[in-house]
Amino acid sequence: MSVMQEGSVIRLEGPCRVEDAETVVALLQRMPGSTVDLTRCRGLHAAVVQAILAFAPPLTGSPAEPFLRDLLIPSLAGERQPLPPKI
Amino acid sequence: MTQFLAEGRELVAGAARDLAVLSRRPSDEAALDGCFRAIHTLKGSTGLFDLAPMGLMLHAAEDLLAAIRAGRPGSPADFAALLEAVDQVDGWLDVLERDGSLPADAAQAARDAVARFGGVAIAPPSPAAEPGGWRTPPEFAALVGTAIRYVPRADAYFSGDDPIAIVAAVPALTALRILPREAWGPLESYDPFACNLVIEAVSAAARPAVQAALRLVADQVEFADLVPAEPGAAARRTLRVDAARVDRLAGLADDLVVAKSALAELAAEAEKLVGGHILGQSLRARQAQIDRLVGDLHATVGQVRLVPLAPLFGRFPRLARDIARALGKSVALEIEGGEVEVDKSVVDGLFDPLLHVLRNAVDHGVEAPAARLAAGKPEEGVIRLTARPDADRVIIEVTDDGAGIDPARIRVLAVERGLLPRDVANALEDAAAVDLIFTPGFSTAAAVSEVSGRGVGMDVVRAAAAALGGRVEVDAAPGRGTAVRFVLPVTTLLTKVMIVACGPDRYGLALDSVVETTRVTPDRIRQVRAGRAFLLRDQPVPLVALGALVGADAPPARAAERVVVARVGGELVGFAVDAILDRMDAVVRPMTGLLAGAPGLMGTTLLADGAVLMILDPGELLP
Repeated sequence: MSVMQEGSVIRLEGPCRVEDAETVVALLQRMPGSTVDLTRCRGLHAAVVQAILAFAPPLTGSPAEPFLRDLLIPSLAGERQPLPPKI
Repeated sequence: MTQFLAEGRELVAGAARDLAVLSRRPSDEAALDGCFRAIHTLKGSTGLFDLAPMGLMLHAAEDLLAAIRAGRPGSPADFAALLEAVDQVDGWLDVLERDGSLPADAAQAARDAVARFGGVAIAPPSPAAEPGGWRTPPEFAALVGTAIRYVPRADAYFSGDDPIAIVAAVPALTALRILPREAWGPLESYDPFACNLVIEAVSAAARPAVQAALRLVADQVEFADLVPAEPGAAARRTLRVDAARVDRLAGLADDLVVAKSALAELAAEAEKLVGGHILGQSLRARQAQIDRLVGDLHATVGQVRLVPLAPLFGRFPRLARDIARALGKSVALEIEGGEVEVDKSVVDGLFDPLLHVLRNAVDHGVEAPAARLAAGKPEEGVIRLTARPDADRVIIEVTDDGAGIDPARIRVLAVERGLLPRDVANALEDAAAVDLIFTPGFSTAAAVSEVSGRGVGMDVVRAAAAALGGRVEVDAAPGRGTAVRFVLPVTTLLTKVMIVACGPDRYGLALDSVVETTRVTPDRIRQVRAGRAFLLRDQPVPLVALGALVGADAPPARAAERVVVARVGGELVGFAVDAILDRMDAVVRPMTGLLAGAPGLMGTTLLADGAVLMILDPGELLP
């Protein structure tokens, strides 16, 4: 079980597999505006990534896994809302 | 908008440079890619402002370039049309800077330009739905390696593929973009198991390694090789900063130089205190350390202000073409040394003088085509704009292969215009005669032409060079062409200053002109006509009282005079002062406003106690 919901926060933990996509989508459909916490996430299946891309929930947490942290999550955040240039 | 203008100029210059390469070597892929990228980025920027005609024209240009990239051979006419469009954009940027909007005829000009591209259909932009020709997104432009575009099949999740895991397995990923393949549609009916992704990524690894990692989905992947725009450009990280902030930083560093000089005094005072010797010593050690750090800081801030000349130089090819076209001449402008870096204020102050010199070169230097052919020269004139560093100076030269300057003619004109009596003019050496073109009120054009006759003479060019702390000279001979040479400081430097007292006031003298200081007893002073002189190692040196030059009261007679011996115009001159107080490193700020024209004043600097010290130029003070 790697998808947990606490109030308006959806926590993704450990490796998230293809079947988790359905749960995530259901939660996001039921409670729009939920935040997705990726702190303890160790991997995201493309289906979950796609759900995050489509529903565009706010993301929090910085996972330890380098690919997630450095490439995948910035690409999800960057698509929706370009950050202002850092000075 | 300011940033858009600055970037726009760079992009225009880059595109023009690449197009120049392409017109010689139509198959040069690096130039084609560079030009495409520049036009693409420019087009993107036009969307941010209300610049529809520019966007339309650039869009058509981009399509033409895309067609050439896709394999349609580019003809010289294509590149000429593209260059014309790029020149048009450059011209519009000038208008934008001045008026804040495009000229009224921009829409028509854009339509004309698009018509010149001829035959290339203008399709609306559709970056997502382009199965055949994938354009690497502009985000990847600065990266190097292999670009990947992976469009997994819609049933990828059912067949057990995890496209993200597949991409994550590619070695040395440096960038990742994830986009929907098609619009999402209503989210209530979102299907979590239908794959609707486009994954774009860049790997720094070589193409075979990337292909190996993606071999199982090879039919869904496209590759593109990313090459660096310019060697080293990718590795060099840059930051655009408002020039005013850098100026403020430089000002603070300057003031710090002044503030730290107070520490030396403090250390000396502490040493004099009873039992203060050890405190003074450690203060002195700290002071030496701060001295070094402040010196480093000052030098580093100076380097921040160094900018390459390329963006400045990049504006001239179009202007040279415009000027030449207006005069019915054919001119090629060759540029060298754009990578040379100089202080930003120097770059900023150079545009007008260089443009003036360039205009002169096209107008007066390069002969009309018929005259050139008659003289056995190629019809196209060559003007070279070069820059090269020379110790702490930079030498910028504009040379042409035109008719040169005839000293005899200059002498005649100078006399005609009442600048010199005939006998003085005739006595001048050729080089000095040619130098007369820098005299105010001199203009060599027999007929004032539309291009050069704008009431600006070469005297303005000389004044501009002097204001930048440099000089300009001309080197010309009839028939051999003309070279106008600017010698300019690369950066503002600390000037060593000697502080002297004259009556109640203190003055600074630039130490580089000071040869030595000495005491002169009255018996060594001789009256020579109206003035005085003394013997310095058997050489007579004129002696003047600095106080008299600056209008201070004459000091009472003394047993011996304190004299600063300085070299003024090659001759030694002794300046009698009341006392020699100190030496310091100072940032001399040139005089501005009302005092700018005050003779004999080089500038001012702040003393450690906050007083303003006037720095004198002894040469100018002498009657």
